[in-house]
Amino acid sequence: MIALWVMAGLLSVLAAGLVLFFSARAGRTSAAADPTLSVYQRQLGELDDLAARGLMNGEEQKAAYAEAARRLLKASENVAEPWSASSNHRQIVLVIAGLAALLALVVYQVTGRPGYSDQPMATRIQTWRGSDLSQLTAPQLAAVLQRETRLRPDPEGYRFLALAESQSNNPSAAIRATRKALALAPQRADLWELLGTNLVEQANGEVQADAVAAFQRTLELDPGAVVPRFHLARALAQSGDQAGAVRGLEALQASLSPNDPRRSALDRALSEARAKPGQQGESPLGPQAGMVRGMVQGLAARLKTNPDDPQGWVRLVRSYAVLGDTKARDAALADAKLRYRAQPDVLNQLDEASRTEPMQ
Amino acid sequence: MMIEFSAFALVLALCLSFAQFGLSGLGRWKRSLTLIGAGEGAALGAFVAVAVAFAGLMHAFIVSDFSVMNVAANSHTEKPLLYKIAGTWGSHEGSMLLWCLALTGFGAAIAGLGRDLPRGLKALVVMTQGILGSVFLAYTVFASNPFLRLTEIPVEGRSLNPLLQDPALAIHPPFLYAGYVGLSVVFSFAVAALIEGRVDAAWARWVRPWTLAAWSLLTIGIMLGAFWAYYELGWGGWWFWDPVENASFMPWLVASALLHSAIVTEKRAALPGWTVFLALAAFTFSMLGAFLVRSGVLTSVHAFAVDPKRGVLLLAILGLTAGSGFALFAWRAPRLAPGGLFAPISRESALVLNNILLAAATVTVLLGTLYPLIREAMTGDAISVGPPYFNLTFLPLMGALLILLPAGPLLAWKRGDAIGVGQRLMLAAGISMACGVLALILISPRKGIASAGLAVAAWLITGTLSELVTRVRLFRGSVAESWRRILAAPMGSWGMTLAHLGLGIFVLGACFETGWKVEAAETLALGQQLRVGAYELTLNKVETVEGANFDADRASLTAVRSGRVVCTPQPERRFYPAGRQTTSEVAICTIGLSHLYVVMGERRGTADAGVWLVRAYWNPLALLIFIGPLIMALGGLVSLSDRRLRLAAGRRAGAAK
Repeated sequence: MIALWVMAGLLSVLAAGLVLFFSARAGRTSAAADPTLSVYQRQLGELDDLAARGLMNGEEQKAAYAEAARRLLKASENVAEPWSASSNHRQIVLVIAGLAALLALVVYQVTGRPGYSDQPMATRIQTWRGSDLSQLTAPQLAAVLQRETRLRPDPEGYRFLALAESQSNNPSAAIRATRKALALAPQRADLWELLGTNLVEQANGEVQADAVAAFQRTLELDPGAVVPRFHLARALAQSGDQAGAVRGLEALQASLSPNDPRRSALDRALSEARAKPGQQGESPLGPQAGMVRGMVQGLAARLKTNPDDPQGWVRLVRSYAVLGDTKARDAALADAKLRYRAQPDVLNQLDEASRTEPMQ
Repeated sequence: MMIEFSAFALVLALCLSFAQFGLSGLGRWKRSLTLIGAGEGAALGAFVAVAVAFAGLMHAFIVSDFSVMNVAANSHTEKPLLYKIAGTWGSHEGSMLLWCLALTGFGAAIAGLGRDLPRGLKALVVMTQGILGSVFLAYTVFASNPFLRLTEIPVEGRSLNPLLQDPALAIHPPFLYAGYVGLSVVFSFAVAALIEGRVDAAWARWVRPWTLAAWSLLTIGIMLGAFWAYYELGWGGWWFWDPVENASFMPWLVASALLHSAIVTEKRAALPGWTVFLALAAFTFSMLGAFLVRSGVLTSVHAFAVDPKRGVLLLAILGLTAGSGFALFAWRAPRLAPGGLFAPISRESALVLNNILLAAATVTVLLGTLYPLIREAMTGDAISVGPPYFNLTFLPLMGALLILLPAGPLLAWKRGDAIGVGQRLMLAAGISMACGVLALILISPRKGIASAGLAVAAWLITGTLSELVTRVRLFRGSVAESWRRILAAPMGSWGMTLAHLGLGIFVLGACFETGWKVEAAETLALGQQLRVGAYELTLNKVETVEGANFDADRASLTAVRSGRVVCTPQPERRFYPAGRQTTSEVAICTIGLSHLYVVMGERRGTADAGVWLVRAYWNPLALLIFIGPLIMALGGLVSLSDRRLRLAAGRRAGAAK
């Protein structure tokens, strides 16, 4: 705090010094001639110069010269009041310079937080590192581990970082950390499993292709791993292969000990898979499909004749997405994006609409 | 301590700005050298204090001090250093601080460099800069303080909008603000001249370097903004008459008019009232831009989303400063001495016509920008005024201006020879018409308006070169004489030639790109092709890559023309975890002066068999759109180096004597 006031005082003194220095310097200068005259004198010189260099013909020079000379004459007739440097004014300057610094101190007391210290990230991490790590929140721990792994890259450090990031509700950072760990230890099944789990978390529970690949790699390295088998079975269920999912989950159930705490989640997944028989060859929209398609075609035709309807385009893109007609959806999306390329809000709505899941 | 010290420095700058206008005003009134000198010292002090505050905020961004609300809202530890630095001006609060830095910087420059100005005029200029500094610094300290602290400090920041994490946009605001705020000096000169009651040729000469500097910086700033929009927003365009784009374009148009009208005032002492009016209007439009971007009245990728209360304050500042300036103009302008007379066919008349067209063009842009806002405020109906309006209103005006342009510099002052000028431009007219006709016949598809635009561009370029040929007497005198004239020509005339050439080059690029752009969009699986113009693009690979603070899907494509691989564009689709935002990173292959522009869209299809939406554009001569304004800005800077316009020329000349 003292350092702050010392620095503030020095800056105020410097500012006041500038005011006083310039004031004193101006006071010492003599009352020079009106600079307007020198501008017109220079203009006359420039005309001579241009003529001498052949850039102005004689007639032009004559006319311009006469005009500039008239201006010079007129300017020289102006008699300006003299300027002075009085000692009274020096006192005024001193008072105003002092008042400015004083006012700054008063206003700063109202708008600033004099007692607050700086909190650069490096210092905060240093403090957290020196404290009881078990008392840190997950984001704080993640920040500490980030710094540590940057200084000493190590698969275990990255694994802990991934766990901390995951707990901080930051799955993408967890995935990055796990990938870094895997770059150092590609044969560790637990890291592949962690990657798959984080990918599932990022996809809001959906087991997508990259997660499937991670789990399959885990099973190559550790065929008995439970978590990958569980998620791979779920992946089958999500792709519509309910029978395969049930078989996988039943096999997993059989391999778990009766007291395994993971059984409850497994039982839940199994009953869900059994409750959803596979649906094939039937329109997701049922008997209303024809009517819905007719309405969408009508909307498309209307937009063709009257295309200036952003919400209509959003509806059309969403409708195609719902119907699962990806080709028509993409074509409509491309047309609409081109039309509304300068309206970010419409573009966002279009993107949002294109992401609508098809009817199951 | 650095943060609080910086906060104090900002407050000190405000108090010094008060002192600046008080001391300078009192000094002018009392005709006291001591007081006006002190006002100049306060101007320098205010600049030093704001520079300290700005450095403090930048330091907070660099060290990721999230106890500062502004840093927590706009930065992140994972952000690359350049964008941590750019984050300093990436928010409303930081950009206001940058505005104040430029404002006090120009005030200090006037105090330090304007030693050949009449004392009274200089004192009033420094006083007006002090008033502007006080108003904007007060707004920054009390309504937009970048040093507000948080009691609950977050572990991580929310990061800067990924669209703003771009090298062009990192440097775009400093140029734009230097241009905007550079016009404050011109405003202050106008206010000072109105108070002094004297607008003459000397005044115009003093104003011109500041206008040139601001105009050049603004040109670069606008060009960088357009370039950023071109390659960052991913829709293949570079200008869409977005209200925020218009907000930067209006002061540029007015400053362009001012540059030309100041020449008339300097050479002939004519149009003094109009020149002063433009000087006031130029900075008023800058402030209008600041209001539009920050008030929350606009929805734009460029706008800062801020609360309307700040908008009202900014509107009040705009009303107060511009209102005072124009009220002073209404009171004092009738007393200004009328300038020299000139014939209807003369260089003065050409410049007047130039000004009328530029002013009318500004009014059309202003109407197109404000009308939707006014209508929405009055009726609640939201409408957008887009390219069709501007194509019908702005382009014809600019077309007329561009056709007139090559003739202006060839006309003599006072009374010009229209027939002589016509004869000198005959060849240029023939060449440009031939270009237009050839474009219509040879370029497919056939486009009449674009071909006409091309003819106008050719007219500008050849017309400007004709003026240069006339000036140096090429082919009319001996080679030695031409060479002597080239060496002897003032830098100002070279600057004009460069600026007009740059404009022609820009028009050429804009017409070609707009008229003959080709675009195509397809969903592609790996190995599939997309044809755009003469190029066939094949999607070879899509891989996941990790950036400093983003993850990306990067596509690798091959562009083939006539069986030959011409480039391998690699567009990306980036995901920034900090803000949970996705952006498209365009891949641009520069082929000659044209661009093959490729954008990667979202992944579609099933998890196993992915397809990606790929959009591609062939933008012919697109590079000229950005090279043209750079040449224009270079022309401004070359003019600025003209010894007649050097700020301390009078002093040095005096010393030499």
